[in-house]
Amino acid sequence: MKNIARFIKYTILFYVFIAIIYWIFIRPQHINWGATAMETNMKFPVDEFISPDKIVSTRTINIQAPKERIWPWIAQTGQNHGGFNSYYWLENLFGAKMLNAKSINPEWQNPQPGDTVYYGKNEGYAIVSLAKPNEYYSLGGWMFYLQTIDTANTRLIVRYPSMEVRQSKFTALYYYGLFEPLHFIMESGMMMGIKKRAERK
Amino acid sequence: MVSKKINISNKTMAYNGALTGVAAVFTYSFAVMIYAIIRSSITICNIMPNGERSSILLANGFSIAYSVAIFSLLMALPSCGAGAIAAIIFKKMLLYFNPNFVYTKAIIIGWVIAFGMLMIIYLLLYFLLKNWMTFNYIETFSFWFLLPAVIFFGVCIIGCSKLNKALNK
Repeated sequence: MKNIARFIKYTILFYVFIAIIYWIFIRPQHINWGATAMETNMKFPVDEFISPDKIVSTRTINIQAPKERIWPWIAQTGQNHGGFNSYYWLENLFGAKMLNAKSINPEWQNPQPGDTVYYGKNEGYAIVSLAKPNEYYSLGGWMFYLQTIDTANTRLIVRYPSMEVRQSKFTALYYYGLFEPLHFIMESGMMMGIKKRAERK
Repeated sequence: MVSKKINISNKTMAYNGALTGVAAVFTYSFAVMIYAIIRSSITICNIMPNGERSSILLANGFSIAYSVAIFSLLMALPSCGAGAIAAIIFKKMLLYFNPNFVYTKAIIIGWVIAFGMLMIIYLLLYFLLKNWMTFNYIETFSFWFLLPAVIFFGVCIIGCSKLNKALNK
């Protein structure tokens, strides 16, 4: 039993080390991953609907493709459409039954405000609140904004208003302990997934 | 049925069972953590250009490790209780069905208990998760079924044989 006790002790020490590094170095970086101060403070069409008490992240990625090649992948977002272009195997680990489309489906290219987008198979959904082809797309308050750098390059800016954590300690534990890091993993995965697909020749 | 004086108290059994339960959860968590970090890092390396790769690799790796750590610490609490109860059940079962402390019999008892408990856990999961539960993907099959089963059987069989040896002293 001594070996088991030692294993538990060292694992807890390892977890404490991970938590310290995460809070000091990683979280401040990933909350606005890739975004400049100007982009973090930028106003988006959906901002007026976001409660000021919500924790908001703004993340960006450069894509070597014009807006027109990126938009189709954003337009077909959703488990009931072309997936989220993220780590489908991680989403499926949580029972999402996700499958990322390998090609653009014309049927899903015209998202309209009011459309339902599922996060998992018949479980959890968001409503498309704004959609302007080749410009922006919003699920609830989750905003995908395309900004032209030059004719061949685009910046994808993603803003996510997650939740209000002041209400309870349980919400705060859930948010800071699980939701926020997991959302970063999935959202950055999604942004890289869109980049990969849009840059494909 | 028991001819010997048993030198391991229920309290000690519960404590050892609780430790084993926590260790099993941590082992499972490490496997999930390593798998998720390696697989997502390969994806990142294939997409991100050289200059932007290291920061996202670090952020992604530590975010996975941190969330798995929190999850496993939360799961450690119920597994602590489950381990304590299971250990006492093990002891009672071994004393009842294996009063002569035969090694092979102890292994079989461990196997039967592991199998029975796994069935109960999977039935509970099935009724709780229903539509969410699926073994259709390699990930769900591996991490919802295969890996927990391997750990569970390992812990039960090794635990039973060690306990059998300890009770026989």
